[in-house]
Amino acid sequence: MTVQDPLVRIQGISKSFGAAVALENLDLDIARGEFVTFLGPSGCGKSTTLRILGGFQQPDRGRILLDGEDVTRLPPEKRHVNMVFQDYALFPHMTVRQNIGFGLELQGLDRASIKRRADEIMSFLELQPFAERYPAQLSGGQRQRVALARALAPDPALLLLDEPLGALDAKLRGQVQQELKSIQRRTSKTFFFVTHDQEEALTMSDRIIVMNHGRVEQDGTPEELYFHPATRFVAEFIGETNLLTGKVRGVDSDAVVMDWCGQTLRGHAPAGAPRTGDAITASIRLERLGFHAQRPDTPNALQARVVGKTFLGSRMAVDLEVAEAEGARLKAYVDTDVGQSVGEAPVWIGWDTDSMAVLRD
Amino acid sequence: MSYDAASARNERAASTLRQADRTFWGRLVNWSPYRAFAGLVAASPRRQFLILALFPILWVLTQHLGPMIQMVGVSFTDAYPVAAGTEQHLTLDNYARFFGDSIFWMPFFRTLFFAATFTFCTLILTYPVAYYLARHVSRKNQMLMLLLLLIPFWVGEIVRTYAIMILLGNTGAVNLLLRSIGLIDRPIPFMYTSFSMGMGIVYLTALYMLLPLYSALEKLPKSYNEAAADLGAGAWTRFRRVTLPLTIEGISSGCTLVFLIATGFYATPVLLGGPSTTVFAETIAGFFHVAGDEWPTGAAFATIMFVSALIVTVVFQRLMSALRKGDVK
Amino acid sequence: MNRGNRVLLSCVYWAFVLYVFVPLILMVLVSFKDSKFIGFPIRSWTFEWYTGVFADAQVLSTFGYSVVIAVLSTAISVVVGTWIAVLLEGRRFWGRAVIFGLTVLPALVPGIISAIAFRIYARGLGIEPGMGAIVWAHAVHNVPFVVLVVMARLSTLPKSQIEAARDLGADPLIAFLRITLPYLVPAILGASIFCLLLSFDDFVRSFFLGGYEPTLPVLIFAKLRSGMSPEINAIATVALILTAVVGIWAERFTRRLKKETEG
Repeated sequence: MTVQDPLVRIQGISKSFGAAVALENLDLDIARGEFVTFLGPSGCGKSTTLRILGGFQQPDRGRILLDGEDVTRLPPEKRHVNMVFQDYALFPHMTVRQNIGFGLELQGLDRASIKRRADEIMSFLELQPFAERYPAQLSGGQRQRVALARALAPDPALLLLDEPLGALDAKLRGQVQQELKSIQRRTSKTFFFVTHDQEEALTMSDRIIVMNHGRVEQDGTPEELYFHPATRFVAEFIGETNLLTGKVRGVDSDAVVMDWCGQTLRGHAPAGAPRTGDAITASIRLERLGFHAQRPDTPNALQARVVGKTFLGSRMAVDLEVAEAEGARLKAYVDTDVGQSVGEAPVWIGWDTDSMAVLRD
Repeated sequence: MSYDAASARNERAASTLRQADRTFWGRLVNWSPYRAFAGLVAASPRRQFLILALFPILWVLTQHLGPMIQMVGVSFTDAYPVAAGTEQHLTLDNYARFFGDSIFWMPFFRTLFFAATFTFCTLILTYPVAYYLARHVSRKNQMLMLLLLLIPFWVGEIVRTYAIMILLGNTGAVNLLLRSIGLIDRPIPFMYTSFSMGMGIVYLTALYMLLPLYSALEKLPKSYNEAAADLGAGAWTRFRRVTLPLTIEGISSGCTLVFLIATGFYATPVLLGGPSTTVFAETIAGFFHVAGDEWPTGAAFATIMFVSALIVTVVFQRLMSALRKGDVK
Repeated sequence: MNRGNRVLLSCVYWAFVLYVFVPLILMVLVSFKDSKFIGFPIRSWTFEWYTGVFADAQVLSTFGYSVVIAVLSTAISVVVGTWIAVLLEGRRFWGRAVIFGLTVLPALVPGIISAIAFRIYARGLGIEPGMGAIVWAHAVHNVPFVVLVVMARLSTLPKSQIEAARDLGADPLIAFLRITLPYLVPAILGASIFCLLLSFDDFVRSFFLGGYEPTLPVLIFAKLRSGMSPEINAIATVALILTAVVGIWAERFTRRLKKETEG
């Protein structure tokens, strides 16, 4: 994705550790004020990218431009970039106020300004009551906020967040996700967030970059990634999905016509259109399958038998076997009342062209 | 109050006008000599590393290795320090002298024998203590009970040697005790024998054995023993087949340490030993009490001793690691 | 394990405690004996030996001399040892194993050999026997202990601490002074006390490198060679109490400090 006047421009970054390739020729632009998330399994290169941006590692090849200036070889202390560490890395021998003031001191601010600025940021993050406490005396959530405050205090151009929610328990995490997003909006700072948690990425980001084996799998908004995954990896990594493997029958202006176990289906075409006869995989999200009593007039419609149901509270997971195709199975999420009403009799399932993404590869 | 990015920038601009009120660190990093220095040092990671590494490398080479090298060097010369107007020659005479006279090599072999024996005694004495501390005492008490044992070991070599003299003397506590319970009529002459010397050396070195043993035993999961017991192994079998093989590393490092220390004692053998227990340390020291021309011989003897001690410990460690890897049945 | 074994082992432990304490206790007792004759039983008691010791200018100046040597040598060992530890810990470079081996060498050389090697080297450098030579030898000998203690502590410092400091604008030196050094304080204090005690108690190096002025262990040794007397017990007892008190205090203090900084 290219952006006009980007804040960060990553050009052809590669990095290997011995024989292991962490990053391969990465190109990326990040716009001002974006909440960008790097998502991927461990070892996919997302943390390496973050550490290269922070200045903790040097790329083997390529350049990093920050505000148009080449910072590739600058040490961390000379970059206008701050980081929230995974373990927060709060200085244990300093109070909350001293931790927050650390970066300001080194910018050469005078005492009064440091105090004013620290107060400002502490009241912004509701840390005032803990100003004179040591990190050991804080809860996990409070520590996380102190780490954020410390990184925001020097007013960085770019804020890096290295899985900062990993150490929090599940309940607190949801709350902190909302907070973080709202802080990002109110400060209008550029956040560069790294996580392996797809839910976290979907909740907070303006833009998600999915990485695997040192390469970008897909780059887009959360909705794009969820409903139109570009690759099998993305489709499987984010959410749950039905993967349908078949052959291309033909290509329309806006859809790919495919054959799946003898059924003709129409799906959303990927960037590079496939050719007739190619083997192909399509992804359809579980909740996008609609249940009907009669044949619906959606572009895709199948008759199927219910072979299993799992109660999940407000909704149900339903296992389906397509009536006229041997071994063709699908899984669907339906509202619980719909799920309860279906019985042994075959049902019609229908979905739009746009709901089914034909995958690249 | 709300967060305002612009206020931070204004703050910074205004603040530079009030430089005097910066914190110490703020002033330091903006102080021009420091900036020049940091620019010079921090220019590249390689230069940072060189500046960090230069002094330690010079130090260990000149201060740690230097004395040993020079000692070996002097051992091959005929005179050191070189007197004015004379010349120094290379020679092997100093080494030949060692093999030429039993008055020299007897103490040498005695030292190796004594050191090995006392090391073994220390091991036997401290293993049960370490075992008890590591396996049968709660974690909180472990530290306290270990600390209790540490206290006497902060007291110096000479003071503790003297304490042993008082314990074992003809009118010492042991003889008094034995006499008062009627076991003996006349005091047993413990002092100035290999017994009193061994007692002293074991007393001085016990801690260096105890600590490695303790840490090896402490690392050993209790579940191993429980598993062995579950499989029907009795207490002795459990110890011999599980605990002992898995603590060989601790035994090996403890023994090495104690052996090296024991070979190097000088004051303790002088004070506790007798004419029949002269150790090599006393022989070596003899060359440094008299005129300077004996120094090369002393250096040669010290070299012989150091090399032998090293060979013994290396062979011993090899043996122990073979034992650890191989079959311990 | 069964109860019988446990009881037996606890008896072994307490017997060992007796073994390490009894000789020292006896030595202290004799220092109060009202007779020039060393030995037991003790029939009457006196403080006379202590008043003698504290009135003896030579003993007092020897105490002072030993303390000064201990403090100076410790200062050198701590600076050098910390520096080496910072170089060696967590860094991989060509020759690291060799430097580490050389670093611990002085701790492994048997005492007598170490003493005469220092003596020969000092002579080669033109250092006269005396305080300077002793301070130097003690400093070199104690460096390995500082390195090992500081390295152990340093290995527990999360790497992210230094990275966070750098990230916030600290150059490597400032990050070391403000983050690493405060974190190392308990280890450095512990190592210092250990070095102080090692230096204060050292005999063999002080003996071979000393000039006319003896350190405390050398003085006791010299007095012992000319015969035992309760006066020596009194001197030794004072030294014992001094070292034990310093040792116990340091142990507790560093433990508390460690707890505080770890939170």
